[in-house]
Amino acid sequence: MINPDLLALFTTLKMAALTTIILLLIGTPLAWYLAKMQNRFKVIIEAIVALPLVLPPTVLGFYLLIAFSPQYLPGQLWQQATGQQLAFSFSAIVIGSVLYSMPFVVQPLQKAFEQLGEPLLEASAMLGANAMDRFFNIVLPITKASFITAASLGFAHTVGEFGVILMIGGNIPGETRVLSIALFDHVEAFDYAKAHILAISLLAGSMVLLASIYLFNSPRKKTINRVSK
Amino acid sequence: MTSPSLDLALSIDIQLCFEKFNLVIKQDLSLQGITGIFGHSGSGKSTLLRAIAGLEKDINGTIVLNDTSLINSKNKHFIKAERRNIGLVFQDSRLFPHLNVLDNLKFAAKRCKNRRLNFNEIIKLAELNNLLHKHVDELSGGQKQRVALARAILAEPKLLLLDEPLSALDRQAKTRLLKLMLNIQNKLQLPMLYVSHSLDELQQVCDKLLVLSQGKVIGYDGIHSMIHQLNYTQNNYTQNQYAQNNYAQTNNFIHQQTSLSLPIKTLNNGHGLTTLTLNEDTEIYLPALEENITGESLTGKNLRCFILANDISISLTEPINSSIVNHLFATISTISTVDNKVFITARCAKEDTEQEFFVSISAFSQQKLALEELQNVYLQFKAGAVRTYLY
Repeated sequence: MINPDLLALFTTLKMAALTTIILLLIGTPLAWYLAKMQNRFKVIIEAIVALPLVLPPTVLGFYLLIAFSPQYLPGQLWQQATGQQLAFSFSAIVIGSVLYSMPFVVQPLQKAFEQLGEPLLEASAMLGANAMDRFFNIVLPITKASFITAASLGFAHTVGEFGVILMIGGNIPGETRVLSIALFDHVEAFDYAKAHILAISLLAGSMVLLASIYLFNSPRKKTINRVSK
Repeated sequence: MTSPSLDLALSIDIQLCFEKFNLVIKQDLSLQGITGIFGHSGSGKSTLLRAIAGLEKDINGTIVLNDTSLINSKNKHFIKAERRNIGLVFQDSRLFPHLNVLDNLKFAAKRCKNRRLNFNEIIKLAELNNLLHKHVDELSGGQKQRVALARAILAEPKLLLLDEPLSALDRQAKTRLLKLMLNIQNKLQLPMLYVSHSLDELQQVCDKLLVLSQGKVIGYDGIHSMIHQLNYTQNNYTQNQYAQNNYAQTNNFIHQQTSLSLPIKTLNNGHGLTTLTLNEDTEIYLPALEENITGESLTGKNLRCFILANDISISLTEPINSSIVNHLFATISTISTVDNKVFITARCAKEDTEQEFFVSISAFSQQKLALEELQNVYLQFKAGAVRTYLY
């Protein structure tokens, strides 16, 4: 039988990778929209996106738990579509993570899009590039560093998640038992040796990831800086 | 690479409302060669260019290029910038920072649907051979604008718009880019609309001139004729300022000047002067021009030049004992006085040809010489007063 901690590691990585992909797919258009938006609703959407930064994870987890339960519409719709209960499932912790890590992806992208501005987009349009062409050949390469930052922060933050997952996912091995919860289990069982291994691994992993981002985004490599010169 | 001459008819009837001013333009333009758009900051010239380019969306009215409607606000018809096949060179180059010079140029060439131009010939024409593998950050302002110009041309637009492309450049880089624009225009016959607040630059390269002031067209004519009309506008402008006791307003609308296009008789007369011919046999001298870098002979070709009204003085007798080399026999046509400045127009005529000159002198001098209309006088100006940017 597979080591439960390794299983937790696998579940964690799967959850974080999936969450990051989903966040990039929905966070990019949202960040673009916020960067270009000029009406008063902008601040409301920005506040909603930033809410997980200040809200206790248990508050978000509590409301998600209610929403995901079969008594309420989102949970009901999910059950009708998939035949399975949403609460305490892997899908639930991915949805929770997407909401919880949203600001870590949307904010760096929004800032990069705002900084990029219109000039280069106008210049490329005047050369015959349509909107998709402009996004893939101008926006994406110039804001590459911000995409890497957004993806890394989104991934790292999801790996470190605890409160939301505990509320909506519980502790089901292979399904919702992630590293942070496994660590909590070891501590509760006074198995400090195993807790140390997990804690040190999480600490070192996060450190390496963040150092890599800062190394990649050191001034010499910041493409976005060249735009503002 | 010479293309057939492309003449475009551009019909503009638009209104744009901004907080500080309204742009209301109703004008048909026949675009051949280079058409200048002149006006001061806030006159709406860049906005007009952006409207033609498709970068301004909130426009009321219509713009039609030949038979293609670019915008018609009534029908909610709007062709996007990328589908207009119009090029635009911006004031700030806007080169893509993640690409080197070559890739910036390729970006444009790849998106051109019917490629007719030879990529390498355009690079050679814009003198970019040595810069192709440089990063855009490494380029000087003039080099950046040469790349931007070449990039715009490689997209092979049917109309090229230039939005103050020289305003951030030094004199030397300006001259080089102006020559390049003329060279490109001659070789490719690409109609250009060139926006600038510098009348000097426009005088050097444009065939026609559209003048805007406070969001409205105040004139459209051939370049020399339009500049000469602006000389009178300047007079009215100054008069209004005095009428309103607006002495603090010191900006000129333009520097009054005589705008000329004269054939080169000799490039260097052996004394460091180039000789131009006026009215077939009158000679005008200016500091010797350099031979064209392309090796083409300049002799016989027309030279664009201008003489500021402040640089011409008047003598009642021929100033043969003066170091001033240019003295032209002329007849005074009009005299107008604004405050202590006197603005005089004088004609140098010979048989069927005549040239109008514009002179600004002090009221003191006018009284001293007792100048009157129809009086014969000598206009005198130093060789250095005949200005040109191109050689």
